[in-house]
Amino acid sequence: MGMEQAWLIPAIPAAAFAILLIFGPYLPRRGDWLAIAAIGASFVLVFPVLADLLDRADGTTYVAGEKAWEWISFDLGSVGETFEIEIGFYVDPITIVMLAVVTLVALMVQVYSIAYMKGDSRYGWYFTVMSLFAASMLTLVLANNLLLLYAGWEAVGFCSFLLIGFWWEKRSAAEAAKKAFITTRVGDVGLLIGIIMLWHEGPNTFNIQEIIHFAEGGGYGDTYLTAAVLFLFMGALGKSGQFPLHVWLPDAMEGPTPVSALIHAATMVVAGVYLVARMLPLFEVADPIALNVVLIVGLITVMLSATMGLAATDIKRVIAYSTLNSLGLMFVALGSSAVAAAMLYLFVHGFFKALLFLGAGSVIHATEEQDMNRLGGLAAKMPITAATFAIGTLAMIGLVPLSGFWAKDEVLVFAEEEQHVIVYLVLLSSLAITGLYMARLFVRTFLFAPREQATYDHAHEGGALITVPLLILGLLAAVGGFVVFDEVGEALGFPGGFAQFVFLHEAHQFDFQLDTAITSTVLAGGGAVVGWVLWQGKAELAARIRDAFSPISTLLANRYYVDEVYQFAIDRVVLVLGGIIAWFDRVVINDRGVNGSAYIAYFTGLEARLLQTGRIPNYALAIVVGILILAIVMLVTQV
Amino acid sequence: MIPIDNFLVLSAILFSLGMYGVLARRNAVLILMSVELMLQAVVINFVAFAVYLDPEAFTGIIFAVFVIVIAAAEAGLALAIILRLFRNRQISNVDEANLMKW
Repeated sequence: MGMEQAWLIPAIPAAAFAILLIFGPYLPRRGDWLAIAAIGASFVLVFPVLADLLDRADGTTYVAGEKAWEWISFDLGSVGETFEIEIGFYVDPITIVMLAVVTLVALMVQVYSIAYMKGDSRYGWYFTVMSLFAASMLTLVLANNLLLLYAGWEAVGFCSFLLIGFWWEKRSAAEAAKKAFITTRVGDVGLLIGIIMLWHEGPNTFNIQEIIHFAEGGGYGDTYLTAAVLFLFMGALGKSGQFPLHVWLPDAMEGPTPVSALIHAATMVVAGVYLVARMLPLFEVADPIALNVVLIVGLITVMLSATMGLAATDIKRVIAYSTLNSLGLMFVALGSSAVAAAMLYLFVHGFFKALLFLGAGSVIHATEEQDMNRLGGLAAKMPITAATFAIGTLAMIGLVPLSGFWAKDEVLVFAEEEQHVIVYLVLLSSLAITGLYMARLFVRTFLFAPREQATYDHAHEGGALITVPLLILGLLAAVGGFVVFDEVGEALGFPGGFAQFVFLHEAHQFDFQLDTAITSTVLAGGGAVVGWVLWQGKAELAARIRDAFSPISTLLANRYYVDEVYQFAIDRVVLVLGGIIAWFDRVVINDRGVNGSAYIAYFTGLEARLLQTGRIPNYALAIVVGILILAIVMLVTQV
Repeated sequence: MIPIDNFLVLSAILFSLGMYGVLARRNAVLILMSVELMLQAVVINFVAFAVYLDPEAFTGIIFAVFVIVIAAAEAGLALAIILRLFRNRQISNVDEANLMKW
């Protein structure tokens, strides 16, 4: 077993999907064990691949493993070249990080789903789609060429669509699924354009490493490459829910909560981050505008999502905004070329965000209520959920020594060193707001007096299937950040800390800066404390502040009216334009063009058939007259 | 020798009579007879030109024989059709034979 067998990692869930799709209804327990066994096998297989990668490494120089099969090949007669598409898999440290997050979180989520989805009428279908999702996500991660990556990219989007709309009987779920699909499709078109652009001027291959090599050799024009990477970034923008395509992610919370944990927190939404991290050398070769766009989009998303998180009352939506917030942070890191910081954040974010969602799922499962205004005081009834949720909350806020702190700190250090001071200040203020809304989420859900006694009485801790994944993820969310230290990395068998494993140009050590750490901790912790004070008990203070700044709170509660603007644009621009085109098609093309020409033939035939009287004398007369005319013509012309 | 004009005038008169018959008559048999008349007018023309323009060659005469043969065949065929028409629909008036109409 080694890197050459890495293709098995997506292949096993894919096989499970095929079996479940065909034989699922006939399997005992609808085949949930098969889906879980498949993802478990994939998770186990990550380790030999990792070991092989480390074995072949020379210090911190990694020899990437690659294996490819020919998929499609034909001659381009006109150019005299061969057009080839491969199915190929490529393993390097970034891939390993993604593989670890995806397989582990998927395993936890699927185990959790046994309890969460129990008794659902489409229980088997749920696990079928989950297997398909795991297979496509792992394909996306392992792909060595852009087309295979794009195939995986679209497949995860499709699974996301199926799972958001899992309870499609509910109109809002069906609409959320549609919205997510269409919004991400806007970005996906950009991604496809970017891929085609890179292929068209490039070395006649879709292979990512060859394209990067070609670009670094100056193969593409500067402007052309900038345009191409910005199109690529459009895909990342849609998939990772960055402004202005962020609108789908909060609505995606209509899906089952484990789905939100897996797809809309830990894996699919970070595909955009992964794509940019993978293609980062291209962004660096291109005009600096490209990286600045990444940075600014990340910053805008961080601020927008943090403030929107303050106003949301649905616990899942608050966590969704915090996901947008985290994704924005990752893009800020990528915009500073800090691939290690971004991937570290991605790594720990997978754990603590999945933990938060699964914790929220545990609450929803126990109370069938997800509005914070009707919850409260659940810590007494659900101690394990509350404790793990607290770990997740603190990790998201970024307090020492939880995982979120170390990742966030790396991002901050890069932002401070590499970027304008405004970027740093914006990030710091967003941290304070994060503390505020995450504290609000926890306080309102788990502490103080319950607001609805009936809901509270109904609540109970879930079984082992729910608590064990929570505990495992809680542990990882607590200690996951320690991988930044060289000692921890070495103890685990790595050459050093996280940044010695994942890097772009050269390995570097974790750069801990006390002043940054203290500033961020004070701000985030201060935000959390203020949040605690504001929303404690009956939250009278918070209500008073909300009323005092009512324009702002209305703006936040309405999510900056972005959805309204889009709705307006769709109603007034897209539909009106579509209406005009439809009218043109119906009236001019169809009525006048198609039916019109047909009517001319019909009318001509209708009139001309009168000539066919069927009477012999008429024909005889016609013959005679015709001959007379011919004779006269002949006479005239000859004389 | 009789001038050729006499023959041509005779032929024209015969042809016109035949044409009038074809156009004016309604009985199928009479129309057929009128057609025969027109054919014979043509035959007269052939023979006259053959004799007057090139007495040595037989071209015109042979043509006349051909026309007579074809006229006979045509008459046989047309009479058979008229006979079938009469057997099936008990008519010989061409105005009533209008099944081919739109």
